[in-house]
Amino acid sequence: MNNPETKLAEALSYPRSADGFDEAYGDKSELQNHWRYLLDGIQSLGANSINERQLKAERILRDDGATYRSASIKSRAWQLDPVPIILESEEWGRIESGLQERSEILDLLLKDLYGDREVIRHGVLPPELVYSNPGFLRQCQGIVTPGEHHLILSACDMVRASDGSLCVIGDRTQAPSGAGYALENRTVMSRVLPSLFRDSHVHRLSLFFQSLRLKLQSLASEITSDQPRVVILTPGSYNETYFEHTYLANYLGYPLVQGSDLQVKNGYLWMKSLGGLERVDVVLRRVDDYFCDPVELKSDSHLGVPGLLEVVRSGRVVMANPLGSGVIENPALMRYMPQISQHFLGREPRLPSVKSYWCGDPDDYEYVVDNLDKLVIKSCHGRTSRRSLFAAELDEKARENLLWRIKQTPLAFMAQEYIKPSSTPSWDGHQLCPRPAVLRSFSVASQSSYAILPGGLTRVGSTKDVLNVSNQVGAISKDTWILASEPEKQISLRDAQPWQSQVQSQSRASFPCRVVENLYWMGRYAERAEAGLRLLRTVFVQLNSTYQMPLQTQRTLLRSVTELTGTYPGFINATDDELKHPEDELLAVVIDEDKNGSIMSNLTALLNCTDQVREMLSADTQRVINDMRDELAVLPKVLDSAGLNSAPEEALDPLVTSLLALSGLWQESMVRGLGWRFMDMGRRVEKALQSARLLRSSLVPVLPEHEQFRVLESVLLSAETLITYRRRYQSGNELARGLELLLYDQTNPRSVFYQIKLLSQHISELPSANTGSGLSEEDRLLLEATTAIQLSRPEVLADTASKDGLRTELDQLLLRVQALLQSASSQISNKYFDHVKAHQQLVSNEWDEEL
Amino acid sequence: MIYRVRHLTHYEYDAPVTLCYNLAYMLPRDTKYQKVLKSDLVIKPFSTTGKQRTDFYGNTVYYFTVEEPHKELSIEVISEIQIEDFKFATEHDLNLDFGTTCGEVLRTIQQSTDPEMLKAREFCLNSNMIKTAPALRDYALTSFNSSRPFLSAVRELTHRIFTDFTYDPDSTGIATPLAEVLRKKRGVCQDFAHLAIGCLRSLGFPARYISGYLETMPPPGKEKLVGSDASHAWFAVYSPGEGWFEFDPTNDNMPAEHHITTAWGRDYSDVSPLKGVFFDGGKSHKLKVAVDVNQVDRAAFQAHVQTLLQSQSQSQS
Repeated sequence: MNNPETKLAEALSYPRSADGFDEAYGDKSELQNHWRYLLDGIQSLGANSINERQLKAERILRDDGATYRSASIKSRAWQLDPVPIILESEEWGRIESGLQERSEILDLLLKDLYGDREVIRHGVLPPELVYSNPGFLRQCQGIVTPGEHHLILSACDMVRASDGSLCVIGDRTQAPSGAGYALENRTVMSRVLPSLFRDSHVHRLSLFFQSLRLKLQSLASEITSDQPRVVILTPGSYNETYFEHTYLANYLGYPLVQGSDLQVKNGYLWMKSLGGLERVDVVLRRVDDYFCDPVELKSDSHLGVPGLLEVVRSGRVVMANPLGSGVIENPALMRYMPQISQHFLGREPRLPSVKSYWCGDPDDYEYVVDNLDKLVIKSCHGRTSRRSLFAAELDEKARENLLWRIKQTPLAFMAQEYIKPSSTPSWDGHQLCPRPAVLRSFSVASQSSYAILPGGLTRVGSTKDVLNVSNQVGAISKDTWILASEPEKQISLRDAQPWQSQVQSQSRASFPCRVVENLYWMGRYAERAEAGLRLLRTVFVQLNSTYQMPLQTQRTLLRSVTELTGTYPGFINATDDELKHPEDELLAVVIDEDKNGSIMSNLTALLNCTDQVREMLSADTQRVINDMRDELAVLPKVLDSAGLNSAPEEALDPLVTSLLALSGLWQESMVRGLGWRFMDMGRRVEKALQSARLLRSSLVPVLPEHEQFRVLESVLLSAETLITYRRRYQSGNELARGLELLLYDQTNPRSVFYQIKLLSQHISELPSANTGSGLSEEDRLLLEATTAIQLSRPEVLADTASKDGLRTELDQLLLRVQALLQSASSQISNKYFDHVKAHQQLVSNEWDEEL
Repeated sequence: MIYRVRHLTHYEYDAPVTLCYNLAYMLPRDTKYQKVLKSDLVIKPFSTTGKQRTDFYGNTVYYFTVEEPHKELSIEVISEIQIEDFKFATEHDLNLDFGTTCGEVLRTIQQSTDPEMLKAREFCLNSNMIKTAPALRDYALTSFNSSRPFLSAVRELTHRIFTDFTYDPDSTGIATPLAEVLRKKRGVCQDFAHLAIGCLRSLGFPARYISGYLETMPPPGKEKLVGSDASHAWFAVYSPGEGWFEFDPTNDNMPAEHHITTAWGRDYSDVSPLKGVFFDGGKSHKLKVAVDVNQVDRAAFQAHVQTLLQSQSQSQS
């Protein structure tokens, strides 16, 4: 009986879990109809196929750069379960109207709290609930958002209780995250399960984002009659949901900016772009309100824009969500939701909230202290900690500590009854198994009501009995399918008419200077790393060759490693003994991230730049960068295990290949806009500098003739010019010919001259290039460099040597060229990039640290 | 009584500041007892944006930016304020030994649904710079019991702070923690106001912080020195049904007609005279502040000095 076929089929049939409510079964023992098609489909795919599709999903997510938490090398990939959760249309209709109503209530509450505060005057809310909450920003009193709603976006976490009813366990009204992830999940699912998805008739998500665009557009049109500009404000690439910020910026077509990309001037808000200041009308913010303005709010914040609040107050920019909206996130408000709803609508809300307690209420306090183990404890002051505490899970010490904190500051704590979430079929790599699920829904203000994202972001616990289902503690996400009762018309973002014109108008522009600067540095770091890798490869080959190299030659080669990478002191003053055992230092030059100039530090800097400009990079580029990230992560191990004696150069090959792939992509597939130009300028500057540096460090010391050729050969090899050299020159002054190729040649892309010429060309094509009043400073510097090279003679450079064995003419020339290039680069950066200086506080306010 | 207040703030920076954004709480507000007749604020260099508005607590706040390079920044405020005649001239006009008791205050404030009292409850809560603490409670407790008239207890607390603490301008920075003030028994007007508020809130009473000016008298026979006055701070408590009452622990009195209110809030951080951010400007800057408070009506002023001198000699005899 135990045949594997049956076993497989059993594993793939989803069993009803013994306790609680199950999404697929409801409270019955039979599968619900709307789940059948999907579960049958999964069963017929088979375990292997599902695993393959999950791998494919992971690959797509990785290629899209989908991560949660920090964007550093160690960031975590976004987790997606290949089995979606399904809700049928009729039930969704009820949920949707409940969510709309909830958003309406929260909107009315928001307006009231920053207006007349009737809810306090009429005794609906205890004054302490509002006044003690740090999310209540008194500075925002009276600020009006144009249009019908103040609350533009909100999100709502729900679970299904054991009786099958959905229940709200949390609201997000500050800068709700997750809608972008939901969209990404959908994109991936429609690619890995295309036919199941297509035949299931799932409601599409794009309409929601269209509503969002329309809303932002209409907010802008309330304050300007010009072409409006909308930007997305992000705290930066270290934010845990940065992926989503870049994803939405791309999907919606808005520039992604950081606080330092914006400036308040003449009473308006501006974006600092390469062409100058551009007015901003609407800010879709992903920065918490309290951090948005150091003048009036958190004074030591560098994530915001000084003076922003006053611009908002005067109605010259609209924030979505408005500043101050964080106060609605206070979970203690859920305790009063029925009363709040009664007050505003005259009825209880359709969508119930979980039974909640606020420790600021004496009776509630008693209850919470007496029943701690049954409850989920949350801080009302979201800013300090959003994590839910499950008292039953705490050890004695942590429990005592929690009780003490509640007693000290009862106003700051609330508690919820624990609802065991319904379970839903999830894939664990072998079989379908029940996992607790939490659904986050999203709504956006739309004309007279709210538009709800059909679906949302479902997260399931990583085990069956996990209590806390949250991305912060390792939950896995799921696509959420709302089955359409009738086929839906397909609309993608591009088809929607009303903002077609805006798409075009925004494309004329533009991105913040910070992006341009990062592109420039991306180019520089890429070349810097490549030059270093090439030289190291060559040096490894030479060191391991059978030929025993004289110490003097070895010294010259190793010194040039130090000089080229700038990893001083390195081999500069190395003793003979150290020169004979260069392994440790060479290894450090490759993998020591803390060593300034090491390959690892350059590539890490490169990756950081790509994070900053992520929204500008193509999918292919993103893929190459991901590969590089992976290679970098394993490099220390690979080098360690191989050791430097067994062809370590091969361990570096994949990185060189990735860098070549990058430069190929940049060359072949990047639109020749300003972004590309600056990126390429960065590459040219760096290439020219590195070539000059290499020539100077390796060819200035005079060596015996044979050894001299050996060093020259290494240089030519690492510059990939050896073959050309051999083909062109059969004999003659070897060094002079080498210099001709590497310094003067107008056709060899590895020559210094060639790179400087390209750089000059870029500069002449910049929009703010000269307007007829002679040469600009950077032109002058580059002209001086090319002229100096052209006026020198290769033979003289090769043959003029001082008594102490140095080619002084060559030395002087290369030194001068390097200095000129450095000056040209800083000239470019001064002229085009915004040098963001940190602002200072007039009076240092130590007190708001404590908030 | 009409006062003329001149408040000059002057910053000098190491290097030019290219851009600054500021918020000033320097324009006096109207209160039950005072009316602002005139109030002008002059900024040098010329400010690009300047806007006056009323804040959450009804204070007048002025926002301004200077968007051209400047090495110096000066803000000069000249205000004329009328203190209403019905504000008592001295605290002896009040009899504090009658009125609502401490117990009644605590009960009423927590139970009443009167909007005014609901609003006052905000001032029972912790604020940025003032946190309730057992030590504050213990210090205050000797003056309070549930049957004692509330205002008389607060008056005693004010007196005790005056006696137990030493006024010492060198002792504290802007944000000295209350625990430190309590330990060192030293501070300036701001610290004493914070301390009193902390004591009162620790017992559950609503108290707020008031910033303003105090007219000072030159020694008899001497001319008053220009710029010798200073901005000042004190506090007020709320007694249900009776309203807000002010106390000055630095001078051991109840502010009467010589105190001019600028603004109030939960503590200093709500109404700090000038805050903001600036770009560039080097590593350090010099700050000069000068305040002059003068009575506009000279004759009345003279007469007032006379009575004061008389009352002094009387109390000394």
